Amino acid sequence: MNRKYIFLAFLLIALGAGLLILPTRSVMKQIDPEKLMIEIMQPTRYVTTDQVAGMIIENDPTIRLVDVRPMNEYAAFSLPGSVSIPLDSIVTPTFIDILKENGMKVIFYDNDDIISDQAWVIARRLGYKNIYVMEGGLNEWVSTIIQPILPPETAPSQEFDLYNQRKGASLYFTGAKIESNDIKAEVKVSRKKKSGAEGGC
Amino acid sequence: MHVHELNPIRTTVILIGFTILIIIGLLTINNPRLTYKLSPKNTASLVGGNENYFYPYQLENLINGKDKNTLLFDIRNNFVFGQGHIPGAENVDAIELINEDNIKRLESLKKKGITVVVYGDTQLQANGPWMLLRQLGFDNIKILPGGFEYYNLMKNDLAASKTDLSYLPGNPKFNYAEISTSSGSDTLPRQTTKTEVKVERKKKNSGAEGGC
Repeated sequence: MNRKYIFLAFLLIALGAGLLILPTRSVMKQIDPEKLMIEIMQPTRYVTTDQVAGMIIENDPTIRLVDVRPMNEYAAFSLPGSVSIPLDSIVTPTFIDILKENGMKVIFYDNDDIISDQAWVIARRLGYKNIYVMEGGLNEWVSTIIQPILPPETAPSQEFDLYNQRKGASLYFTGAKIESNDIKAEVKVSRKKKSGAEGGC
Repeated sequence: MHVHELNPIRTTVILIGFTILIIIGLLTINNPRLTYKLSPKNTASLVGGNENYFYPYQLENLINGKDKNTLLFDIRNNFVFGQGHIPGAENVDAIELINEDNIKRLESLKKKGITVVVYGDTQLQANGPWMLLRQLGFDNIKILPGGFEYYNLMKNDLAASKTDLSYLPGNPKFNYAEISTSSGSDTLPRQTTKTEVKVERKKKNSGAEGGC
């Protein structure tokens, strides 16, 4: 065979082999805007404070709570087991590894849910899945878990069940002692005045 | 002689054809209709700014027609829109928001310098669509904090919302650290209910009636 063609063939094989051993891109592929919009319209990313409380109490090992508020707010108070990734650091390589953990459910939270939702959109654009937003944030956390509201008497029993669950969760998270309800009943006995015998025997 | 040298013309044609094919392939895969204009990092930095907001009190000038430089887009579905929306708002369902026609329209609005305000029931509902549009490069898009719910609440006195900060996102409504400890006044209150139970004894019959 002609030497030219041997050389060409060898070159092509070398190029092909080069493509094979190229390092796989460590950066995940971003998803298209259209796909992102469809994902944004799904409500499945929202989890309730009750669900999060339940998962914490049950020591669910697959959840990763991510506080997206500024670090000083995280230091003042944070949910048990949460890590701090302020929103503007969410794309830095150090933190991106947390989003990548296999099999973990990442739940973003902040004082409300707007910043968490923004973190979610950015993370979803970067291709991360298994990411969630705690609806209502810490404000909702306090109004439902820490200070649950007693339902009115006319409410259906499920609301009372939920209330009792929340009360239990509240005790768990605040470490409050159980206070008993003292009901002191003052019994007033009023005796009607006896009037004299009316009429006669 | 190699078969390719016997037929040089055929070889050249095939080579050129192949190259053209590869070039076309390379060109077409890199041309999606929509491309992000903001990097994720830049997006993260810009979303918190106040310049992204169109405040409820600014709606007054929009409703009475004084503001001619702003358009209102209601991104909820048509049914909910029909039940009630901000006067003057256009219904552009979120998914439709990025179809070809709407994108062209948004681009021309951007060129004319017209601000587009998107709103949903809440700021949360409009947050995703707003963020997406910003990332596509539409820097003339703002979001209405509080959404339609807050507007509905304040519509008779929008100016009053200027001093109200409760509807703005990100504000802690509680001192979380204090409220989550069990010290002092934060324990579940001891409930002592004094119920007064009045026991009324019925009047004993006055004397014996009737005979002994």
